Parts: sequence; structure tokens; C-alpha cells
Amino acid sequence: MAIAVKLDDLLHDRRMTLTELSEQIGITLANLSILKTGKARAIRFTTLEAICAELDCQPGDILEYHADAAEEAQAA
Amino acid sequence: MSRHYSAALPVAFVLLRILILLNWLGGLAILALLTATLVAEEWTLIALGIDAADPIRPVLIGLRAIAALGLIAVPLNHIVLRRLLAIVDTVRVGDPFIAANAARLQAIAWVLLALQLLSMVIGGIAEAISTPALSVDLDAGISLTGWLAVLLTFVLARIFAEGARMRDDLEGTV
Repeated sequence: MAIAVKLDDLLHDRRMTLTELSEQIGITLANLSILKTGKARAIRFTTLEAICAELDCQPGDILEYHADAAEEAQAA
Repeated sequence: MSRHYSAALPVAFVLLRILILLNWLGGLAILALLTATLVAEEWTLIALGIDAADPIRPVLIGLRAIAALGLIAVPLNHIVLRRLLAIVDTVRVGDPFIAANAARLQAIAWVLLALQLLSMVIGGIAEAISTPALSVDLDAGISLTGWLAVLLTFVLARIFAEGARMRDDLEGTV
């Protein structure tokens, strides 16, 4: 996947655990783990909004596009 | 899941199991009768009350052909009932929109198509051997509702395939 999720970095910067974030925004730990490990296929705007509100960040701080990975995926 | 459907599933589950058993029992009965008329023709016919002048005697070969075709229908029915039971099982578990169910419905549709063709052949034979003295009425032949069921099952298989794909997408949504 050419879209990388930087949730780990954000949580590290804010000295917060995934469990704490899960409790704060009301999204299950299992779902947040899927998101964090890049296994999610789609993300709801409501999820994005809740994370941004809690971590006081922008969607761009959470998601990142890697052109190299996209080309590799197309070549494969 | 709605409580409204809670009674329908156990009923379907039990009913399908009974039908699977009845299908094989019916098949066994046909096989026994067919074998008896082949191995001990005279004895069987007299046991069934068919005397030498009975109009059934000249068309016996046609009736045997119909019985043999009826035997082919038994494993075909079994495939349909087994697949349907497996689908009902996935509904009970709460996850019917899976690719396996789409494949099962597709298989059921093909078998229903085969059964319709079989029914047409049986209906054809029945008509060919019918005489004014002996009318072979078997409720076989071209059935509009039967063909509609074939079409409906093929469409349903496509719907399930699409549903399974959407379900997959939803599962990966956070």
C-alpha cells in the first residue's frame, strides 16, 4: 500500500498509548491496531475526525503517500 | 440480527435434513423397483397387480427409462439440499455474505438447470409412451416456475458475490 499510516509516530510524540487513544475516541483497540499496522483498506471520515480531534493534528499528519511503493505495487 | 427471523432458520435446518433423507429414501425405492422389474420382471409385475393384458406392459421400457432418469435426479437433489443447508448454516453463524455462499448458489443454479433439462426429457418420454388407454401423467416437462427459479438463483449468486466483495471492503474499514 502506497499510503502509510503514521499513527505510531504521533502517539509516541504525545506520550500516548494505543489503548488510551482507543478509550478516548471510542474506537476498538482491534480496529486501531488494524489502522496502525497499515492493514486497513479504508478509513471513515468520522474515525479520522476523532483521531485528529484527540491528537490535535491534521489528516496529513496521520497519512502519508509514498510514490515508490505505488510504482512497486503497479509493477508487481 | 432481527428476532423476526429466528424461528425460520431452525425450521429450515431441520426441514432440509429431513428432505436430504427423504431424497435418498425415494431414490432407494426407485432403485429397488427398477432392479426388481429387471431381475424378476414377471414376478414383480404380478406382485404389482399388472396382468398380461394390462396396457402398461408395452410401455414398460419407457417407464424404466423414466425411473433411470429419476435416479439421476437423486444425487442432483442432494447437491442442491446440501449446499442450501451449508448456506443456512452460515446465516445461523451470522455471516452469509461470503464468497463460498456465492459459489454454492452458483452450483445450485447449474444443478437446477440440469434438473429442468432432466424434467423435460422425462416429460418427453412420458408423452411419447402415453396412449389413449394409458395416460402417463408425471408432472414433468417444461415448467415456467422451474426456469424462473434457475434464473433467480443465477442472479442471486451474482448478488451474493457482490455482497461478499462489499462485505470484505467493509471489514477492512476502520
